[in-house]
Amino acid sequence: MGFSFDYLFQGFSIALTWQNLFWAAVGCFIGTLVGVLPGIGPVSGIAILLPLTAVLPATSAIIMMASIYYGAMYGGSTTAIVVNIPGEASSVPTAIEGYELAKQGRAGPALAIAAIASFVAGTLSVIALTFFAPTLAKFAVVFGPPEYFALMFMGLSLVISLSGRALLKGIISMALGLTAGLIGQDPLTGAERLTFGSVTLTVGVDFIAIIVGLFAISEVMINVEQRLTSISKMEVKSWMPTWTDIKQCTGAMLRSSTVGFLLGLLPGCAPSVTSFVAYDVEKRFSKHPERFSHGAMDGLAATEASNNATSTAGFVPLFSFGLPTAPSMAVLLGGLMMYGLQPGPMLFVQSPDFVWAVIASMYIGNVMLLVLNLPLIGLWVRIVRIPFYILGPLIVFCALVGTYSVRFQTFDIWIMLLFGVIGYFMRKLGFPIAPMVLASVLAQMLETSLGQSLLISWGSPWIFFTRPISAVFMALAFLSIGRGVWAQIKAKAPEVVTDDAEY
Amino acid sequence: MKTQRTADIVVGCGVALFGILIIYASTLITSGTPHKLPPQTFPMVVGILLLICGSALALKSWSIREADLAIKWPDREGVRTILVVIASVACYIILLNMIGLPIASFLYIAFSIWYLKRSKWLLAIVISVITAAISYFLFIRLLALSFPAGPFLE
Repeated sequence: MGFSFDYLFQGFSIALTWQNLFWAAVGCFIGTLVGVLPGIGPVSGIAILLPLTAVLPATSAIIMMASIYYGAMYGGSTTAIVVNIPGEASSVPTAIEGYELAKQGRAGPALAIAAIASFVAGTLSVIALTFFAPTLAKFAVVFGPPEYFALMFMGLSLVISLSGRALLKGIISMALGLTAGLIGQDPLTGAERLTFGSVTLTVGVDFIAIIVGLFAISEVMINVEQRLTSISKMEVKSWMPTWTDIKQCTGAMLRSSTVGFLLGLLPGCAPSVTSFVAYDVEKRFSKHPERFSHGAMDGLAATEASNNATSTAGFVPLFSFGLPTAPSMAVLLGGLMMYGLQPGPMLFVQSPDFVWAVIASMYIGNVMLLVLNLPLIGLWVRIVRIPFYILGPLIVFCALVGTYSVRFQTFDIWIMLLFGVIGYFMRKLGFPIAPMVLASVLAQMLETSLGQSLLISWGSPWIFFTRPISAVFMALAFLSIGRGVWAQIKAKAPEVVTDDAEY
Repeated sequence: MKTQRTADIVVGCGVALFGILIIYASTLITSGTPHKLPPQTFPMVVGILLLICGSALALKSWSIREADLAIKWPDREGVRTILVVIASVACYIILLNMIGLPIASFLYIAFSIWYLKRSKWLLAIVISVITAAISYFLFIRLLALSFPAGPFLE
């Protein structure tokens, strides 16, 4: 099933119902609020709020989740600009340029340019998504279990290879995530595994509890340790950017939207990678590269545009192949699976109303975010000042309520706390978190597709190398592992990976 | 575990031992229905992976002596705060089923804010009352989620 305007209009007719518009607006507001709060990155924010959407019908819930995602990505730039706290790695260049601008008294225009760049990139990327995703899905219909296994294997290997010189730690993180995902019943034979006789463990470990623990709880622990209490006293008087600002940033927004979208299609290429690439590209394009790091509005626009474009591009492999390309997408995949939806090529065939309504809601969500955020800049800046001694306990409350409401089992919240502690030590010891999250989400699907492939091939693993598409994916996977191994061999000292929220 | 090298050696050994445990646990899995991919295989592979990578991390870190990095562990006060945070969340979970979400949330939020900022006890009470009210009226009454309401609010 390819692209058709009929489907898109049908999607708009669903997305434009009062109920869905309301949930999209609520999602944008809550998402921005969560993104703005210092100490919660977008991934943690979505992870906390995801289970709370369970009370809504599937379409409204996913529309709300997508809006939360957008809002949180935008909201993160406010803390980066106003208080120099990048909530996630992708906001680091935003903090570099934005905080310099804020110190020059231009926080308002910087926030406005961030909102406009997010809107431009978001809208352009949704247009591209509208055409790309169904076309790719059409291509993906020919995928069988070997292709899916190879694709997931490639996704995991790319995320691991992003650990750079800490490759071993990336693999360990992935293997621990797989172990957590394997606890419970074998999906193929129903045999009990790694339960050590515990009846509670038979139902398996819920990956939402793992995600919330790894991101939200460990973040609270890190912030409590740093005693993050202070917050900005900065006032924002006017948010209106000048014409010179807009002219200066137009090219940067368009270029970075393209860079961010195209790179965002690749598994493992998270906004944290593409925003740095786009920032670097813009520095090379700029007539005044010396202004970079000293408050360059175009540098800020480039980062925000690529950030948003990549976030939207991540929906292409998610909808077409069911492949999450970044931790945030893994969380959203968890959300889709929570509603019994299986992202992948069949999603366009089996649930066209749902998928097109979500795509249509993205157009609406982008407009809503712009309309909502420009006038509310002053409010967001005030919210940034909420001290952590209030925020921290409230994050734990939301995390607990969110995790418990998935299966209503106390066991899940214990798992959340356990993975909170594990996440804290992983950050301290330089272990990347993303491979663990992806592995825990993909474990069962990976094993099922491997089992089905071996059934087709009568037990021969060569099936992954004799079918052309899976052979290409496997080759790319081994290439990225090879690159990681090479970097590991060259490394002279154990390397600490970034201790940010995403990795 | 003050430096990255020591930490990597200790964690590497721990991961390798955990790998051995997983390999052992996978030998205990009973097959049931015959399948091309028996249920033991994947856990066994993951266990072997953990054993190899854990050992490799420990050995590699042990062999490299120069350019060691210090880990930023919290000071004594920081450790105490983190332990109190973990203990209070654990108590919150235990209390959840005993006295219900609203009252457990009230106690947890009030204690946590008071502990993190002693001078703000009045604010602690106000925020915890609001949170308890939200958890009762929004989650239990309005959304009818199956949270334990507790003996007083059932």
